[in-house]
Amino acid sequence: MNKSSRIWRITGLLSAVSTLLLILGFLYAVYDMTVPANQASKAKPETGVQMSVAAAAPYDLTAIGDSLAKGTGDDTGKGFARRTVELLTKKDKESQLINNLGINGLTTKALLPMLDESGVQYGLKQAGIIILSIGGNDLFAGAHGYKNSGELPSAAEMDAAVAASGENFKQIVKKLREINPDAQLVYVGLYNPFADLKDMREAGDRAVAHWNTNVLDTMNQYQGTIVVPTYDLFTNNLDRYLSGDHFHPNGEGYQMIAERIVQSIALN
Amino acid sequence: MVKALNSLLLLVKNETIKMIKKKRFYVVLLVLIVLVPMFAYAQMRESTTKREKFGADWRREVQQAITDNQNSLGSDRVPEEWKKYRKIYIEQMKYYLEHDVNPIQSGGVTFTREFLNNASTLFIPLLIMGVASDIVSSERTAGTIKMLLTRPVRRWKILLSKLITLIMFVSLIIVSTLLVCYLVSGLFFGYGGFQLPVFSGFQLNGSEVDMSNVHAVPQWKYICMQAGLIWFVGITVAMLAFMVSVLVRSTSASIVIMMAALIAGTILSNMASAWTSAKYLFMVNLGLTNYLSGTPAPIEGMTLGFSLAVLAVWAACSTIVSFLVFTKQDILN
Repeated sequence: MNKSSRIWRITGLLSAVSTLLLILGFLYAVYDMTVPANQASKAKPETGVQMSVAAAAPYDLTAIGDSLAKGTGDDTGKGFARRTVELLTKKDKESQLINNLGINGLTTKALLPMLDESGVQYGLKQAGIIILSIGGNDLFAGAHGYKNSGELPSAAEMDAAVAASGENFKQIVKKLREINPDAQLVYVGLYNPFADLKDMREAGDRAVAHWNTNVLDTMNQYQGTIVVPTYDLFTNNLDRYLSGDHFHPNGEGYQMIAERIVQSIALN
Repeated sequence: MVKALNSLLLLVKNETIKMIKKKRFYVVLLVLIVLVPMFAYAQMRESTTKREKFGADWRREVQQAITDNQNSLGSDRVPEEWKKYRKIYIEQMKYYLEHDVNPIQSGGVTFTREFLNNASTLFIPLLIMGVASDIVSSERTAGTIKMLLTRPVRRWKILLSKLITLIMFVSLIIVSTLLVCYLVSGLFFGYGGFQLPVFSGFQLNGSEVDMSNVHAVPQWKYICMQAGLIWFVGITVAMLAFMVSVLVRSTSASIVIMMAALIAGTILSNMASAWTSAKYLFMVNLGLTNYLSGTPAPIEGMTLGFSLAVLAVWAACSTIVSFLVFTKQDILN
């Protein structure tokens, strides 16, 4: 009987205390979630916190931009970002991928606000090499679905896109230089994925050439920038370098781009 | 009045001692002590593989998670439902980065918070069921119910004493889950992290994420809130299991019924968004902690108030049914 009494006293006490605490927690949770933050004296998180960024290593790499930066179409998933890192490592340069910030379908307009995000800036500041790929979705808006819809952008549409997106591109480069002025900024030039289609060959080529010239003008205003051309690689080799969606490069295509990047960046 | 209370207290004491002697509670503790180290170890392995990829740099890791989720938002192959979760996740992670707070800092306290978040819909209800399902039916199976009822005590008092005991053990189970979780995971990740801020108050408004209510809560407070909400869930599950235990003669049958209901809940939450009336079922509303973390509710129109009301109604109804049936029922066999 004595033992039973002890069991009862201990369990009773512990459970009473637990119940009380849990009820308090429950009431506090309901209070916390129902009373709006600005009415209660709730701690608003500090804003404008500055992150401390470690010094960037010269061959650490961040890719930013559209699906090409991401590596869509590459069966190995490496894209030119990882392939560049691999090539640099082969050359005995210490290199790693900091972040691959490529997002499928990204346009110049959508990239601009992204550059204000602190996480994106952090990834860019840590890099010695920034690879930028953008503009393809501005020019060939929705065209990568052409296999399903059969619709392609017209020449006039593409010309308008070149003009409008060129302005965004200027701002993007300016911002990138402000965020990380010391990194080598590599822009991957556009190619015409529709060069084998009769209607698109001429119009597409012209728009791409126009865009690439504008890009070169913009980039040349800043130190430490390179434009890597891809137009010549793809134009007669679409079957070899394009993936099944007839828009993105395949693994081999990405490898060619990566080799060009490594050829043109400054190595010391 | 005092005499009535005293006799009730004696009954509760008797029930508590029975419960401890039946070793049900030890089984619960044993399950925790075996399972929690497994979860903690799995978690530790996961974070080491991530560390190999990203180094010690959590900011890069979080940013990569944001980008990966943004990519899936653009894909047509991802169902709209999942996009909702990912959208809010993206905004939360951006918010953490903006305020330079590490959302994935490993530590015993963080592990406990994550564990409670995942345990509220199935794991803890299961533990509670283990205690609740046989509290009445076992007396029947063992035949002791006749002895209990031939005593000069009113039937409702006997049932009430069982209910009070059950509530006591619900509290004990939740607190011991918390303690075991913290103590065991501390061995793996260290015992710190009480003051780490957690951001709470993200809401999904249509397709936009509403941030006006976001505020920082220290992690220990957050865990107290989680535990409180889980306690409410636990009480509801206990009352339901209690009713089933009164209605069904065999213990195993009552366990099967409750388990089926709970598992149905997790399945429904994953696919019931088209069937909106499912939100009145208790098992869809067990994820109260999701309101705290900002995870969207499984069905449109569910809010904290709504879920609390649904659970309260279910709990109240099952208690009423238990008492009506138990006081009227003939004890045969």
